[in-house]
Amino acid sequence: MKLAVISCIHGNAEALDAVLSDIDKQKVEEIYCLGDLVGYGPYPNEVVEKVRSLEIPSCQGCWDEDIVDGLNACECSYPSQLAEHRGRIAHEWTDREIYPKVRAYLATLPLTLKKENLCFVHGSPNSQHEYLLPSMDGFAALERVLSVDADVLFCGHTHVPYERKLENATLSVKVGAVESGEFSQQFRVPLKRIINAGSVGEPRHGRPNATYVVYDTDTAKVTLREVEYNYQKTCQAIIDKGLPSIFAWRLAQGMEFAERADDPTHVCER
Amino acid sequence: MNITLVAGPPGSGKTTWISQFLSHSERPSERPLFYLCPAAGKEAIDRLRIGYRFPKVKVIDDAQAAEVLLNLFDPAQVYVEVGFHLDLASLPFNSLPCRKVAVVPSEVVQASERTNQQWSKWHDWADELVVGNTVHPPEANYLPELWRVSLTGQVFDPPSLDTVLTEMTGGAYGRVIRLKGVFEMPDGQAWYIDFAEGLPGIEYTELKLPLSLKGRPTRMGGLEMVGYSLQQPTMAETLQAACLSDELLVQYQRQYRQHYKTTNTVNNTQENVA
Repeated sequence: MKLAVISCIHGNAEALDAVLSDIDKQKVEEIYCLGDLVGYGPYPNEVVEKVRSLEIPSCQGCWDEDIVDGLNACECSYPSQLAEHRGRIAHEWTDREIYPKVRAYLATLPLTLKKENLCFVHGSPNSQHEYLLPSMDGFAALERVLSVDADVLFCGHTHVPYERKLENATLSVKVGAVESGEFSQQFRVPLKRIINAGSVGEPRHGRPNATYVVYDTDTAKVTLREVEYNYQKTCQAIIDKGLPSIFAWRLAQGMEFAERADDPTHVCER
Repeated sequence: MNITLVAGPPGSGKTTWISQFLSHSERPSERPLFYLCPAAGKEAIDRLRIGYRFPKVKVIDDAQAAEVLLNLFDPAQVYVEVGFHLDLASLPFNSLPCRKVAVVPSEVVQASERTNQQWSKWHDWADELVVGNTVHPPEANYLPELWRVSLTGQVFDPPSLDTVLTEMTGGAYGRVIRLKGVFEMPDGQAWYIDFAEGLPGIEYTELKLPLSLKGRPTRMGGLEMVGYSLQQPTMAETLQAACLSDELLVQYQRQYRQHYKTTNTVNNTQENVA
């Protein structure tokens, strides 16, 4: 069975429509969404309405959480003072625009979705704010997958898609006992994977194209899809709706609106 | 007295060309060195750059220029940097006995060698053409804007400044063909930052000035930009958002003072560090 996994739409309805059309051609049976439906982009209500009307199961992302709970993350979420300033403008704009029923829907989104041996999260099982980067320490990465009792962990949040295989992992445990002395036990961990779905609405791979992944549960094949769409239309809407015009410029360059935080593994303590 | 006028398009390397003589010149007590950058304002970046890098060079502002030039004695060496926005034919210095040098891209020099024709305004004016950076001189009938902003007293959040500079030089606020500035950082250092369209990347040079870690720096800093359709109010607003508040500056400076103390960092001249 083929699944499509989409993430980080950020109010970019043009990109979402293009991705949904592309998904139609891939003969997938189910679509999962990893959150961040809103934030930065000009069409937060439209994006949420679409995901809801298509009954796409979705996790709650960090931007969705901020719209529900208010902007109370610590300053760690932003790599610079300027990024924080812009993030605040985007949050306040989205907070004003969002319909009450949309906010109520975002509040219902779970942090984690499970389907058999697959698990879906926004950032990591620990937090919507934690970045699972491909360079993350192997033990820590494995711990994240094991913690949700899954073989495949789908995440987003970094906006850069990747597949990471955690193979041949051996965990050694040493236990000290008073009578019998010290003994150790080893566990072998079967293959685990982390798959990052990239970003539909706010890519940061140097091109404005939307990205998502298709996963085949029978063959475990991961296909990264990169979809062109009319990003100029989104850029124009950003300007027309009174969002900072620099967001339009950055989107057209394939740059994120705000870069990733300095210490991406830091978990925000709200 | 020896006067050298140096002209050329933005980014061709006028200040760099002058700097190589200033750094190799004899002791200023025997041969006083002067630098002028007429009609560029007191906080002109070239003036700051020369003044910070060569403390023994006398950097003269426009108001003092006539008096200084008239009272110079023989071994003095004067460099006058002529901004691209000045009309070469009507410079007041033209009447003085001086050497006129144009720092221009190699195509300009080669073009005249091939055709044996004096075809650019640099050829008409200069005694000598020097090959500088490969930049595209602005067309005569489409002159770019010049935007200057004083940043004296402002201290930047470094990653924010990086973002702003990447956006500015990438064309987010209009087409920038030249950008240069002197920026203060929270660790007490100041940096000279330089970009010219057509040359790779943005160049960052630490100025190695005395650390400024007690309140807002009083030495001059600023930004100068040459380009087309520049969105000046948006850029000013963005720069402002990249500057540290009083509260944050106090926090950073406290941390850095502590850091320098514990690591026994040798500071340049340390009156400004508690």
